[in-house]
Amino acid sequence: MSEIGPRDLSVSSTTTEMNRTGSWKYIRPVYHDRVAPCNERCPVGIDIEGYMNLLREDRIDEAVDLLLRENPMPAVTGRVCDHPCEQACNRCGLDGAVAIHAVERMLGDRALERPYPAAPLRQREQVGVVGSGPAGLACAYHLARLGYPVTVFEAAREPGGMLRLGIPEYRLPRAVLDLQLDRIRELGVNFVCGVRLGGDLQWNVLSWFDAVFMAPGAHLPRPLGVPGEGHARVRQGLDFLADVNGGQRPDVGGRVLVIGGGNTAMDCARTARRLGGAVSVMYRRTRAEMPAIAEEIQDAEAEGVSLEFLAAPVAFHPLDAGVLDAEFERMVLGEPDASGRRSPVPTGERFRTRADLVLLATGENASIESLPLNVDIERGAIRVDELGTTTVRAFFAGGDAAGHERTVAHALGAGKRAALGIDRYLRQARGERELRDPVQTRVASGNLSMTRWRGDDPVRRVDPVEEVVGPADVNLTHFAPAARHADHKPNGETATTFVEVNLGLSAADALAEAHRCFNCGVCNECELCLIYCADVAIRRTEGGARFEIDLDYCKGCGVCAEECPRGAISMTREGL
Amino acid sequence: MAIRKVIIGNHAVSWGVQLARAEVIAAYPITPQTQVVEALSEMCASGDLDARFIKVESEHSAMAACIGASATGARAFTATSSQGLALMHELLHWASGGRHPIVMADINRALGPGWNIWTDQTDSLAQRDTGWVQLYCETNQEVLDTTIMAFKLAERVNLPVMLVLDAFYLSHTAEPVEIPDIAEIDAFLPKRDAKLKLDTSDPHSFGALVKPDAYMEMRLALQQAMREARVVFDEIEEEWEQQFGRRYGAVEADYTEDAEIVIVAAGTMVSTARHVVEQRRAAGERIGLVKVKMFRPFPTETLRAALRGVAKVAVLDRNLSPGHGGIFAEEIRSGLYEVPPDDRPKVFGYVLGLGGRDIRPETIGSIIDRTRAAAAPEREDLWVGVEA
Amino acid sequence: MSQIMIKDAVPDRELMTAGHLACPGCGGALAMRMVLKELGPQTIVVMPACCWSVIAGPYPQSSLRVPLYHTAFETGAACASGVRAALDMRGDTETTVMVWAGDGGTFDIGLQALSGAAERNEDILYVCYDNEAYMNTGIQRSSATPWGAWTTTTPAQQPQANPKKDIMAIMAAHRIPYAATATPAYPVDLLEKVRRARAVRGMRFLHILAPCPPGWKFSDERSMELARMAVRARIFPLLEVEDGLHWRFTIDHPGDPVEPYVRAQGRFRHLDDAQLATVQERVDERWEELLGRVMR
Repeated sequence: MSEIGPRDLSVSSTTTEMNRTGSWKYIRPVYHDRVAPCNERCPVGIDIEGYMNLLREDRIDEAVDLLLRENPMPAVTGRVCDHPCEQACNRCGLDGAVAIHAVERMLGDRALERPYPAAPLRQREQVGVVGSGPAGLACAYHLARLGYPVTVFEAAREPGGMLRLGIPEYRLPRAVLDLQLDRIRELGVNFVCGVRLGGDLQWNVLSWFDAVFMAPGAHLPRPLGVPGEGHARVRQGLDFLADVNGGQRPDVGGRVLVIGGGNTAMDCARTARRLGGAVSVMYRRTRAEMPAIAEEIQDAEAEGVSLEFLAAPVAFHPLDAGVLDAEFERMVLGEPDASGRRSPVPTGERFRTRADLVLLATGENASIESLPLNVDIERGAIRVDELGTTTVRAFFAGGDAAGHERTVAHALGAGKRAALGIDRYLRQARGERELRDPVQTRVASGNLSMTRWRGDDPVRRVDPVEEVVGPADVNLTHFAPAARHADHKPNGETATTFVEVNLGLSAADALAEAHRCFNCGVCNECELCLIYCADVAIRRTEGGARFEIDLDYCKGCGVCAEECPRGAISMTREGL
Repeated sequence: MAIRKVIIGNHAVSWGVQLARAEVIAAYPITPQTQVVEALSEMCASGDLDARFIKVESEHSAMAACIGASATGARAFTATSSQGLALMHELLHWASGGRHPIVMADINRALGPGWNIWTDQTDSLAQRDTGWVQLYCETNQEVLDTTIMAFKLAERVNLPVMLVLDAFYLSHTAEPVEIPDIAEIDAFLPKRDAKLKLDTSDPHSFGALVKPDAYMEMRLALQQAMREARVVFDEIEEEWEQQFGRRYGAVEADYTEDAEIVIVAAGTMVSTARHVVEQRRAAGERIGLVKVKMFRPFPTETLRAALRGVAKVAVLDRNLSPGHGGIFAEEIRSGLYEVPPDDRPKVFGYVLGLGGRDIRPETIGSIIDRTRAAAAPEREDLWVGVEA
Repeated sequence: MSQIMIKDAVPDRELMTAGHLACPGCGGALAMRMVLKELGPQTIVVMPACCWSVIAGPYPQSSLRVPLYHTAFETGAACASGVRAALDMRGDTETTVMVWAGDGGTFDIGLQALSGAAERNEDILYVCYDNEAYMNTGIQRSSATPWGAWTTTTPAQQPQANPKKDIMAIMAAHRIPYAATATPAYPVDLLEKVRRARAVRGMRFLHILAPCPPGWKFSDERSMELARMAVRARIFPLLEVEDGLHWRFTIDHPGDPVEPYVRAQGRFRHLDDAQLATVQERVDERWEELLGRVMR
């Protein structure tokens, strides 16, 4: 009697794995790490997503190191940067941008607690840097980390440039700035202060260096061209700030008018307020067109600064006892100008207002008066390419003097790119071949990456593509609402002291903000792709890190890519 | 120790199921089957039978539950009649195709409309092609014995087995029955040991889509199992006889050696026919009797041997395949076709007793006379007791 | 991490194999994978005719690493009752017997057997993965097809005219110990319900919404998104019912408009704005009715 067997009835003896159902598909998912919008938009070119990813695992020290790869002074930018990264943040679509700025400040302060990671200065070539503002410091910092001995020349008595002269202490405490400079100095950067190009520092001295980075800044007053502007009570706002930042406490009298709508105007206004003035900011356009950081404007108003819009100065009339009558013309908004903002159009209507002090904060010209003649100048600034290369061999430039946008962040980015350009130039001069094109280190359409230039990205990225993750690419479903921590924490003082105004976030709150990050574009191994795969075609790689797709079984439904919270999976046509 | 009890046919089924230690019973009430499961319910409730009784909401579910239980390795039983059996039809195929050794008692009852609760073989015979072994019973003792043997047969060849008994004439009729001792039955019918079953330690799927490249092989396997069942049945009866002294045969042939006319019947009609045949024999008439116990697998060879050379065969069909005739007659006719013409009997197919109409000795006597009188059947279906 | 991390809640074990024959984006396939992950290997599956009869693979294959019995269309609950009885007789009360049936095998042809098993309080887990029509036979309407939907037997000129049968109310009326709705778009909720169901003895019923890209006419990758929309719009609320009496929502249902859900599917393409409003009204009515039950 035969036992019933597997051919006698429908009984299974194998699995469905013999069916290569992957042949059904016409599109396939591919793990492609992409670029977070914050990274793309950062003028410094910081791998924000990268350090957020490390913070997700509470790897704070590694996050600090990653941040320092691109930014020499996160404690500074964490305080004064206008953080365009946050405007780009995809979390805006859910419950407010991640407070990247505050996270950076927390990391920056932590970075100051110990020496920076240093590299031995093993390169033979010497690099000279003119100007110790953020551009010069950034260039010196990155070159030092690349192993170059660097000497920085500074006209002022102390290094820091606009960081020291222009930014008030209540925004950037001197102790932070000094510590920041110490950290850079410890890398072997040599500072020579009190020497001005064209004065103590002659051009031929610089020719001893194998390469030079010029970042003299923009300090030259730009005249308004109105009568009475030479009056003693009409001052350049920057000079006023430099005096106060240098420790002086000038008498501002009773009523102070600040002309301008940018950050310098806000700094002047709030500084004058602290010196007892009744301050009005006179701006020729409206609030919407003000270039100042929105928070600065709000803070100024909160401190009692009043804002007067659509008013352009036409004359300053001296009165008795050092008092002025400032005359303005009423403006209306017209067509947008080259900056995209609506331009002010005069109405003919005039009015006068009395002032004890007028501070001009309408912009300065680049300090390019002492450059050799063969350096090309374009629209009042040194003409440079993206790597800071000028028309003179071995001569690089960046920052305000090179026409870059006048923010600390843009200056840091320019200094970094120039460092990259100088490194490449020196290596080429040394005869090194097969150097990568620095422009290939660009992060999407954003900045160049020092990490990519050095080729040692500590963040695992799988087949990265230079595509930015937009709002449509993130899947908000997988995120729980988490209110943004207000990154602006007033110190509780009235506006009478120069104590730092914003206390920033506590380390815990800053970490909580980091945990709000979507980690756009970079797989954080949340496993949703694996969980949502109906075809059992996704598995962890042999090593256990990241995932692989078994194309023998993936039917190309695309659910994994759709569900991926951060756009780290792309669907690609079969055969491509 | 065996005991003797006077019990009705339905309870003979119940006793058989108890002795066979069925593990899962699923059933739904229908007259005239109901007493089978009533008694089983009591046995389960009292602990006389250690089984799970699933009181399902239909015969369809009864068979489905039996299939599930059997697929999981349990000895499963159900009982039904007529409409209930018809309702199960789909699952009868499922049970055989899945090779589940389920045992079912069908109490032959006519199909409506109009409602008719009395005996008629059409319900079971209509399930001819479902792949079930069918065993018809004549007495309550046979019912009990067949119930137990049915389990053994089913589990040997992995086929479901239907035992069939007449409504009322057997189901509700009390007869003395020897009930074997359960220890003896345990020796005869050990616990079921299913090799291929739903088992989490050896997971398989059962019943998945079978494509044309494999379906025929499975149908052939089913057919081979049926052939095997014919042989195995005899072995089991042999064993039963040795242990209990009783034997029925797939086919029982009496007085056929020299018979001119042989009556062929199944179920309780056989007892009536036997009485008449014995009377006629005593009167010197050469009348024989063939009892067909096994309908599927159809015991063609045995029947051929028993009927070869007989001049006339009168087949009593308490059933009807409308448009053809009595079903036993059809089957026997086709079975005898291979007999050489000289030895091939003329088959008289009588349709009688439908819907429980009484079949008396006189009815059978008239059939013998009618058969003798005719040189050949005037047609395939010869109706008895009605104006045809 | 504001991302709702669920990986730790999802067991690693894989009891379903690749190469199964589900369509791309099949909600029913994913549902099975998740349910088995939670139930584990000590599970026997009984499967009446449904899409999964094909998905599980033809002879001699099986896409499940647990025993599976393919049974006739209307017999899921009855066949499982038999399996359960046999296991009980073997002294095995730990193995979970799971019926895995589609909406046709549950709402329609299998309802009688399901009701019988529920009334008997059979110790089985009955899972209906509901793709809202007879998809395996090519998209014919079932009593789970929602009002207004196109199917091949409810053409656009005469779409589904009846509301979807309230299977949860039917099951609750049987006073079974545990019934719940779920969808693979909410894996943690689904797994938790499976875990709870597994722990309960007696009849358990799980109604899983399983989006069907070819049947509902939407692009494969949106499968989970659609299920989520159905939940958020209160078309398919996620809830559990204990002993048929205690109704409880298991997540919040914000009550998004039904429109994006409806408009995302080709099966509703023919609906005009007035009909769309009717869909919304019907959903709102049902929700109100449901609130009455949940409050109780």
